[in-house]
Amino acid sequence: MSSRSVQYTSSPLLASKTPIWRSQFIVAVIAAGFLGLVARAAYVQVIDNAFFKRQGAVRFVRTLDLPANRGRILDRHGNILASSVPVPSIWANPEDIERDPAKLKALAKLLGMNPAELDKKLQDEDKTFVWLKRQVDDSVAKEIAALKIKGVYDRKEYKRIYPEGESVAHVVGFTNVENLGQEGVELTFNKALGGKAGSRRVIKDRLGRVVEDIGEMMPPVDGEDLQLSIDSKVQYFAYEKIKESVVTNKAVAGSVVVLDIKTGEVLALVNYPSYSPGKRGSLSGAQLRNRALTDTFEPGSTMKPLVVGLALEKGIVKPETLIQTAPGKLQMGTATITDAHPHGVLSVNEVIQKSSNVGTVKIAMQMQPHDMWEMFTQVGLGQKPQVPFPGAVAGKVRAYKTWRPIEQATMSYGYGLSASLFQLAQAYTVFAHDGEMVPMSLVKTNQAVASGARVLSVQNATAIRNMLHMVTIQGGTAPKAQTMGYSVGGKTGTAHKVEGKGYASKKYRGFFVGIAPIDNPRIVVAVMVDEPTNGAYFGGDVAAPVFSQTVQQTLRMMGVQPDMAVKPQVVTKVEKESF
Amino acid sequence: MSRVSFLLLMAVMASALYLVRTQYESRSLTTEIDRATSLARNLETENDRLDVERRAQATPLRVEKLAREQLHMRTITPAITQYATVAGSAASAEIRP
Repeated sequence: MSSRSVQYTSSPLLASKTPIWRSQFIVAVIAAGFLGLVARAAYVQVIDNAFFKRQGAVRFVRTLDLPANRGRILDRHGNILASSVPVPSIWANPEDIERDPAKLKALAKLLGMNPAELDKKLQDEDKTFVWLKRQVDDSVAKEIAALKIKGVYDRKEYKRIYPEGESVAHVVGFTNVENLGQEGVELTFNKALGGKAGSRRVIKDRLGRVVEDIGEMMPPVDGEDLQLSIDSKVQYFAYEKIKESVVTNKAVAGSVVVLDIKTGEVLALVNYPSYSPGKRGSLSGAQLRNRALTDTFEPGSTMKPLVVGLALEKGIVKPETLIQTAPGKLQMGTATITDAHPHGVLSVNEVIQKSSNVGTVKIAMQMQPHDMWEMFTQVGLGQKPQVPFPGAVAGKVRAYKTWRPIEQATMSYGYGLSASLFQLAQAYTVFAHDGEMVPMSLVKTNQAVASGARVLSVQNATAIRNMLHMVTIQGGTAPKAQTMGYSVGGKTGTAHKVEGKGYASKKYRGFFVGIAPIDNPRIVVAVMVDEPTNGAYFGGDVAAPVFSQTVQQTLRMMGVQPDMAVKPQVVTKVEKESF
Repeated sequence: MSRVSFLLLMAVMASALYLVRTQYESRSLTTEIDRATSLARNLETENDRLDVERRAQATPLRVEKLAREQLHMRTITPAITQYATVAGSAASAEIRP
């Protein structure tokens, strides 16, 4: 390399003059590039901005549902009757589930279904969501998670728990898996209990964390707690007692209603057979019925005090007026009205005490049908009770203009009209509340003293209470209603059951409606036993003992001091220590 | 002139960086708050659940069963009850005869 053939400094390429257009061309291309960017920016940010915003939102913005808690149902002392707790529900994505037979078999076992059933649920691979089982136990959900099957997930849902179980089942009712009320107050107050779900729009980051709120949040409105007037202890006790009575008397069903006269509240509303609201696998209609409110029957002899009350009010008779009931039979047209036993001459007091049909009819036939009808209506017969309950029925009282004399006669002792047990109990508040018809509430009122429309004078209500008391003492139809420590009064009823078009000869309903303590009433208790078949069927035999025990426990729990002398049975005696 | 522009440019840059930082902080705080809120909610539901469980352990059915079977208690009657009256209205507390 001694010499160079080309002199760089004199390269012909460099020496040649570059045409100016070339640099201009480059500038133009770059400018065009920038213009393109500007155009694109304008397109993205101005012209089709909405589209891109939406696309962005789809990727980052999420709307979160904020579920509202369903309110609790409490008894009058604040004890929980129903509350919602979170439980896991298992779901799967059939599109990408891992189909490992061994694992799926284990899963099916944990879910309590057979593998074929599970396969059926998972066979549609187009679906991306299918519930496998809703509301499973915590432990089961943990075991399923431990299987680590891809495509099987759990999600938190709310389940209703009813700690009191069957004793309050009819009152509280239940909700379905979607948390909507289906029965009882869960259904009636569904809206207030349910609350209102809220929502919130947020931006989520790559890890799914919420990083920013967008717009205003709609906070969820939790459902209100509902405090019932029910006393869970009274309710439980009444349930146990009616259950016992139904079982020993081999009856079909039974109901008890306990009303607080002073405050106008329902303390207990019990039916047997009942069900456990948490386990509703095999429910029958018989278990589900809230018989005290939905079943009507002919009230039988329990109507007599109402008729006699009206007669006193109209001045037709006095408690001491004598009425000839011999020979225990009364002919009305083609029909004959009979007493169970012939009694001879009875005072009005005794007509009630002995429950004489003939005596009652003789009093009733001196009255106008219109007056009787008005009385029945005033005490709530033939009208739906004002309690918030699905399926409460009105019963039947026909318009007085259509009454024939024989019908007026039979109605006076409780045939030819119908009422529910709750209506009967409510009607007796007239006697208990010194002649006033007290409106009843199933929701705690906190109202000290309730008052209502006057139906009878104070004096006449007291007179009827006296007659009702006579029913429960020696010579009356229900000595079994007596209870230790408290004076009681009430009326028995025994009615043939209606079957088809006539009365079933050997099917009865025994009931008892009573008041305690009789001089200063605090509660009304009504008891009904349906179709007792174990020999005894009179209300005085099957229903009165339940009344007696319920009254005793209820008054004790309410702190009412006994008004009758009781022989103390305190057996321990303190002996002085000797030195 | 160019110096002023430079200063303003710096100020804009600083402000922009500060904005980014604030945004970041605000987002992490939002995450924190969100976590705390859901924790509070979880604790609340847990509390509800425990309340229900406690109640389920103390239902009249269970109490009576335990009292009867394990403690051999029986239902009280007025005959074995002493009623105390509030002092003032009646000074004595007595077993009613």
